[in-house]
Amino acid sequence: MVRVAVIPANWLVFAANLLIPIAILVFSLGFFPYKPLISGLATFEEPHNAPPKIFNKVIFMVVDALRSDFVYSNNSGFLFTQSLIRSGAAVPFTAYAGSPTVTMPRLKAITTGSVPSFLDVILNIAESDTSSTLAHQDTWLAQIKAKKEQLIMYGDDTWLKLFPGMFSRSDGTTSFFVSDFTEVDANVTRHVPSELGRHDWSALIMHYLGLDHIGHKSGPQSSYMIPKQHEMDSIVTQVYQAMEQEAHLQTTLFVLCGDHGMNDAGNHGGSSAGETSPALLFISPRFKSLGTGRQSPVDASRDFQYYRVVDQTDITPTLAGLLGLPIPLNSLGVFIPEFLDMWHIGSDRLHLLLENSKQLLRTLKQTYPNYRFEGNTSHLKPQNSLGKAHCAWSQARELLERRDETNGSAHQTEIETTLLRFLWASQDVMSSAASNYDLRYLYLGICIAGLAVLLLLPASYEVLRRYQQPGFFLAASVCGYGAMMFASSYVEEEQQFWYWSFTGWAFYLHVRTCQFRRDSSPAKSHKISHSLLRICGAAALTVSHRILRRWNQTGQKFAAEPDIARTYFPNHQGTLWALVMMAYADIYLSLTHKSSVSSFLWCLTCLVVTVVAFMYKLAFAATESPELITEFVPSHMATALKGVPLILYARLVMFGILLLWAIGAKFRRKRVTHEALTLFLVTQSRVPNIPIFLALRLQLRILESLNLTSVEVTVTSLFMQYVTFFAFGGSNAISSIDLSNAYNGVGNYNILLVGILTYVGNWAGPIWWVSASRLLRSRRPWDERQSHIPLLSFCVACALLSVMAACTVLRTHLFIWTVFSPKYLYTISWAIIHHLAVNLLWDIDLFLADTS
Amino acid sequence: MASQSLAPAQQAAPNSASTPSKPKSSHPPVSILSSQFARGYALVHPAILLSLVAYRFSSVVNDPVAELLSDIPFLVGLQVVYVMGCLPPAGAEKDGNASADGTMRKTPGPKRRGHSASKGSSWSTGLVTVAWKLTPALLSLTLTMLLATPTLALLLVLFGAPLTTHHILTFLCAAHMALLSAFPLIYAHGVDGEIWREIWGASRPADAVWGGALGTCLGAWFGAVPIPLDWDRPWQAYPITILTGAYIGYVIGMLVGRARWVFGKRLEFVPQGARDIKVD
Repeated sequence: MVRVAVIPANWLVFAANLLIPIAILVFSLGFFPYKPLISGLATFEEPHNAPPKIFNKVIFMVVDALRSDFVYSNNSGFLFTQSLIRSGAAVPFTAYAGSPTVTMPRLKAITTGSVPSFLDVILNIAESDTSSTLAHQDTWLAQIKAKKEQLIMYGDDTWLKLFPGMFSRSDGTTSFFVSDFTEVDANVTRHVPSELGRHDWSALIMHYLGLDHIGHKSGPQSSYMIPKQHEMDSIVTQVYQAMEQEAHLQTTLFVLCGDHGMNDAGNHGGSSAGETSPALLFISPRFKSLGTGRQSPVDASRDFQYYRVVDQTDITPTLAGLLGLPIPLNSLGVFIPEFLDMWHIGSDRLHLLLENSKQLLRTLKQTYPNYRFEGNTSHLKPQNSLGKAHCAWSQARELLERRDETNGSAHQTEIETTLLRFLWASQDVMSSAASNYDLRYLYLGICIAGLAVLLLLPASYEVLRRYQQPGFFLAASVCGYGAMMFASSYVEEEQQFWYWSFTGWAFYLHVRTCQFRRDSSPAKSHKISHSLLRICGAAALTVSHRILRRWNQTGQKFAAEPDIARTYFPNHQGTLWALVMMAYADIYLSLTHKSSVSSFLWCLTCLVVTVVAFMYKLAFAATESPELITEFVPSHMATALKGVPLILYARLVMFGILLLWAIGAKFRRKRVTHEALTLFLVTQSRVPNIPIFLALRLQLRILESLNLTSVEVTVTSLFMQYVTFFAFGGSNAISSIDLSNAYNGVGNYNILLVGILTYVGNWAGPIWWVSASRLLRSRRPWDERQSHIPLLSFCVACALLSVMAACTVLRTHLFIWTVFSPKYLYTISWAIIHHLAVNLLWDIDLFLADTS
Repeated sequence: MASQSLAPAQQAAPNSASTPSKPKSSHPPVSILSSQFARGYALVHPAILLSLVAYRFSSVVNDPVAELLSDIPFLVGLQVVYVMGCLPPAGAEKDGNASADGTMRKTPGPKRRGHSASKGSSWSTGLVTVAWKLTPALLSLTLTMLLATPTLALLLVLFGAPLTTHHILTFLCAAHMALLSAFPLIYAHGVDGEIWREIWGASRPADAVWGGALGTCLGAWFGAVPIPLDWDRPWQAYPITILTGAYIGYVIGMLVGRARWVFGKRLEFVPQGARDIKVD
């Protein structure tokens, strides 16, 4: 009878799982719209009438993650730069960098002046993607190139990917090896003296990565930070002195800016004040004539707003104006009015602002084709930003006509302020209108996801009804999770939800074990150690859970607080490596435990593979994170380890693990395949996270002793998957994606391999629990086990539905691009990669056996 | 959010625990004493506690350590009045609820002797009652401070309280929770190992004492919910919400535990199917 009831239900489950990717596809089409850009290059309408250019050349120095306070505050290493600010030779700003605060979108904003779409974040990760190049877009680089002048580029190779074929000389450094603080910068600096001596270029671009790497590695308070700032300051000194002394650099503009800032933990990608506030300085001895020396240094401020705040997109029209170039077509920037005083003739100043206004008006008209800008609304009270822009434009036109009539310099300042008001209002409109959602796709996607939930409802309801308490707990968690997706702080702090509800689940496990024990007659009681585990099993589970919870601080609010992986281990390397070795030894022991595979040879193979894997991790640490092994390994050994060819070695390790797995699979030893998988996951984890696997095994032992029913195993597995994802340092922010193990054994960039390894590196804990829960379930009766897939699918579909609904309802929310969209991306990976490709494939036998 | 994720315990109690307290159990639920004062005060007491929380809330936010510390004597006083006035001390249920329960507790002890002595003579004035109830009250107060507070502090840390900082606050929070939950438990049940095993397994029959204790812990658990919100309010600091939740949970648990439709029922968490597992 059960058989009959199960088959149609299972077809429903199968159909629902097919609907999940369809829902994601449809929703994404509406949520990440393709933004049409005006193609071609801008030209002056009347080239002979254009205002004279102030500068011939530009030296554009980007210091990655140069937060405003690194330059401006009391505690800064930029002493020479601060003296320039005092003398007026440097004009300082805080350049607001909108989210996503990662390098590639920010470079797009700096060069095109447009607001990048969220898709650029994904493309930033898939670095090889060529569709994101700016080769065919209008940028100030393209404008310089169009004048048949030369551009030079040293530093971050993102520029080379964005502008293929743009630079006559270049030397790119990859920003992949984050632990390198010196080489990346030395590679740029060594070119500076010779380039400063040459005449042939018009734009010299330098992009320094070291400061960003220090931030990622040890945060803004790192002891490396001030020396690095001194180093950057010395380059500013070098360039500025050359500008003063060399004749061919007399009319050179020097721009120093950060592409984005960093938060208190040294990461970026989100929209906290620290991340969105990089420094921006325009430097030239000529600016002294403006007579605007400013106080410097100034007191540190918590909101990082130093001097005047401009938008990062303003760099483009300002550079264009100062260098005498047409403003790039898609720019949303506003010429920075501080520099208007570089022109002394009123008509030149007006010309500049008018060019800027006409160009912005064109983009405005393109975005709002139905809005009529012709009518005169100067007397009306504007309702919204668009109305404000329209109103300012009408006023400006009126004033301009009157000026033409009087044919003189009347109304000069009035026109300037009106035009600027128009520019700022339009910038406001355009930045918020940067993304137009296709609501039909959004609703359709939600409907499909809702249908998937409905299809799963009968099967899951049946299970939940049969197993009331765990079923109720699961249902309550799913509802709570769904509701949580609508609150931005709960999305940022999602780990707290899982940690918190897991303690509740542990309480449930404790009570049911105690009561179960009481009910079963004492005569049945068996091995003492076993029953001891059962008495305090749940308590021990909670203790280990509490330790995992503190392993990696994650989220936003408490991210900078001390934890085990980043605070304790760097100062206690002996403990770290002892635990790591214990983890490897434990894997070896579990591999050889009760193995019936021909004994001695098997033990030897296991030993060799484990030791080789451990040595690989050691060599990897020696090159990648040398600060973790200074105490543990003598320095001469460390240098020897650095010489190891990592790629080859990694492939050897992978081959060994594959061998173990194949043997395990051949002899149908579930334990062996599980251990081989563990070894693989350990290899793909950061060194400070490796001891977590010891705790996981302890938890598995406890759970095995508790005799969980299949539904309880499913709920436990679900909780553990999420808990370990966050305990390994994951979060819902793009900045927390860990790429440090994504290239193990990969020689050339291969998007599929790197993608898989990135997924494994970030989802190591969840993958481990998928395999472990299969071990836990294997002792349960067959019909009970079938509840696993419907329940998991139900949870995933509900999570997907709630995230989609939250993204739709809150699509105008301030945090939509910083909190909710990243959450949607993470949900996609949970649903498609983790659920469909891992969770379901792992238990495919449950499925096949039924549907046949 | 809190409303969605109700604890299984709270929900499961009315749903699945349909079996009333089994007669085979020799540890029946504790009833409030039958005297006029006891019945009245058992209702007034939660109201006093809640108004105390509301009245002192702002000063707790301002200076949690000083305020929580200075509140302890008041809390002790209130709880002592409550347990002495409304609860039967350990080993004296029979005195409390007249002849509701035929089984006499078997634990011999000085208290029982004193009790029978007072029963023997006819001049059982209030003063003597207070005097012989004071000893168990003071004893259980000592045990609460010495054993229950560290245990609860440990539990708080296990459930996510900071381990390396905020030690004083954790202890003060645990002390408040212990006075709410453990003090009446110890007063009413003494150190009977079997009852405490039931408490460890959360399988006591519902009554005001156990309901209050379970409510305190559940309330503290739910109290953690607002902490991650980015409102940056001073009251979101640890452990203010947790302790407030504990107080509210205590009051709710205490009242619900006495309600007719809950009284005497147990949490039943043994899953279907778990019974027929062959233990390997």
